[in-house]
Amino acid sequence: MAFVLTRPAAHTRPAAHTHPAAHTAAAQVGVAREADDVVAPSQHRLASRSRVKVISAAPAHVLLAVLALVSIYPVYWMFVTAFRPAGDALSTNPLPGPVSLENFLTVWQQIPIGSMLASTFGMALTLAAAQLVVAVLASYGFARWSFRGKKVLYLLFVGSWLVPFQVTMIPNYLLVSQLGLLNTVAGVVLPQLCSAFAVMMLRQHLESFPKELLDAAQMDGRSSWQTLWQVVVPNLRPALAALAIMLFISAWNEYLWPSLIMQKSTALIQIGIRAFLGAEGNNWGAIMAASTIACLPIFLIYIFLQRYVVDAFVRSGLK
Amino acid sequence: MFTEVPGPAAVSSKTLVVGPDGLAPERPAGGRRARAARRLVPYLYVLPAVILLLVWTYWPLVQTAGLSFQDWNLIPTKPKVFVGVAKYAKVLSLPELHQALTNTVLYIVAFLGISVALPLAFALLSRKVQGKARTFYQALIFVPFLVTPVATSAVWRWLFAPEGGTIPAIAATLGMPLGNVFRDPDSSMMSVIVIVGWQMLGFGVLVVSAGLAGISPDYAAAASIDGANQRQITWRIVLPLLSPSLVFLALMTILLSAQWTYPIIDLVTQGGPGNSSTNIYYLLYQFGFRNFDAGLSSAAGMLFFVGFGLVALVFVELSEKLSFHDN
Repeated sequence: MAFVLTRPAAHTRPAAHTHPAAHTAAAQVGVAREADDVVAPSQHRLASRSRVKVISAAPAHVLLAVLALVSIYPVYWMFVTAFRPAGDALSTNPLPGPVSLENFLTVWQQIPIGSMLASTFGMALTLAAAQLVVAVLASYGFARWSFRGKKVLYLLFVGSWLVPFQVTMIPNYLLVSQLGLLNTVAGVVLPQLCSAFAVMMLRQHLESFPKELLDAAQMDGRSSWQTLWQVVVPNLRPALAALAIMLFISAWNEYLWPSLIMQKSTALIQIGIRAFLGAEGNNWGAIMAASTIACLPIFLIYIFLQRYVVDAFVRSGLK
Repeated sequence: MFTEVPGPAAVSSKTLVVGPDGLAPERPAGGRRARAARRLVPYLYVLPAVILLLVWTYWPLVQTAGLSFQDWNLIPTKPKVFVGVAKYAKVLSLPELHQALTNTVLYIVAFLGISVALPLAFALLSRKVQGKARTFYQALIFVPFLVTPVATSAVWRWLFAPEGGTIPAIAATLGMPLGNVFRDPDSSMMSVIVIVGWQMLGFGVLVVSAGLAGISPDYAAAASIDGANQRQITWRIVLPLLSPSLVFLALMTILLSAQWTYPIIDLVTQGGPGNSSTNIYYLLYQFGFRNFDAGLSSAAGMLFFVGFGLVALVFVELSEKLSFHDN
């Protein structure tokens, strides 16, 4: 689902010229306001004023806290149920405990969860890396030169946003099947190699890339290929990292296409766990344990790289 | 800020770019052949992506258009029979399609509320919370968006489980007993909306908040010096400046809510009971991969493709007219 979400609209263009400035402005405003809050209480004269500020912000805090609670409760409950002893699954105690790994053991014994994780990880990593390389090349071509047919070719990328996957899935399925790739991870990866969203997002970054650097590289006698890998890519590292993380998460969470291609294989976690859910019925402890495992890599990425994740997804919606 | 590098059509003009030492930075490569080769360079960079798009998106679109005029059951050895517009006529007369279409519109309306209107209200009302506290809340609010579809469906089936589920338990103490919401035609669609809404709400809040943070506080300060009150500032300054974000969020919701709901429909209700929670994309899937009617699925697919394309065009026009830019 995340994957479809992240394709920006055709009208990225009118806003494009504000893009880098607007973004840093947003960050600066955030920082400035934060600084305000920190400084104010430290100054005695302002203490009462800041107390007024805190009180007037109370309803906003309550609102956000409720929203955060609603958002996090289902995930919390998933963890709590997963870590209970199998017999306590129906417990209504909202607090965690007693902790037990029994449910995880059940999952481990019932399905090859380790190999599912490994192959899904491999699939998502390959797909994200390939999408990134394809997008870097294309966006560099679009941003650096103007050439005959450029507008039309670029419109292909923008327009692909209007072609829902469900409309092209039958011909895609037939092609994958003709290539003999049904029920293989390659069949899942191949049709998604070009992410139009990644191309459009990187092009925006590249258009604000300082032209002086490109000129300097050219003067040093670097070819366009060397310039790309030695000058452009190292300078774009934060943007590329954010995009790579987003592509990885989207690939991991992709559901529709794997469910069509992998009908007779449970190699990928989405499909493997779907089968497990069907088989386990009401064994909620084991089901929550399997779900926890399916989410774990994404949650770990989120915990350690939160800034990148939010930044990439939100920006995809901003423009 | 960015100016495009002179293209191959004007390769020779590169010699006009003069380096800091007053010398031409690069000699124009010699013969015609070299120049032609250089003209090819940008195409080489763009080519892999373009080929992939043509092979996996645009050519299949043409094939789908072709299939929509044929009767075929997806078995390679079976012949495809040309049937003209019969599939279009059939699909338009199917009650399933009308139901799916109605549902899709209802889903869109619901998600316009959940992922555009509610986030706008939340973001405006919670503007006073800033700094670390805000980052903390937002980090939690964004989590549902990252939960993988199988896990989402599993967790909500557990929360809604008639036996031991949290939600029926709460409903019972409030005196509103809940049955199996997924099996009841009156509540199955509502349950899908709740689940997908839970995932999209946080995303909407973050997008709107980021849009708000991008608006310079100078405008509001200037307006309040001129005597504008909070209400006027919100309606006359903040909302117009926020409109690009909102229009985009609305367009995404309209075009993509059918995609967002697809995995949950497939995993939780399978469109049922009795098509009560289906949507158009799930219908396409059923036509194609359950009934093996490639023509019917393709005809319906083409209709939706054209329909959504028109909606998108209207929206792009609208956003050009409505959007105010902050510079």
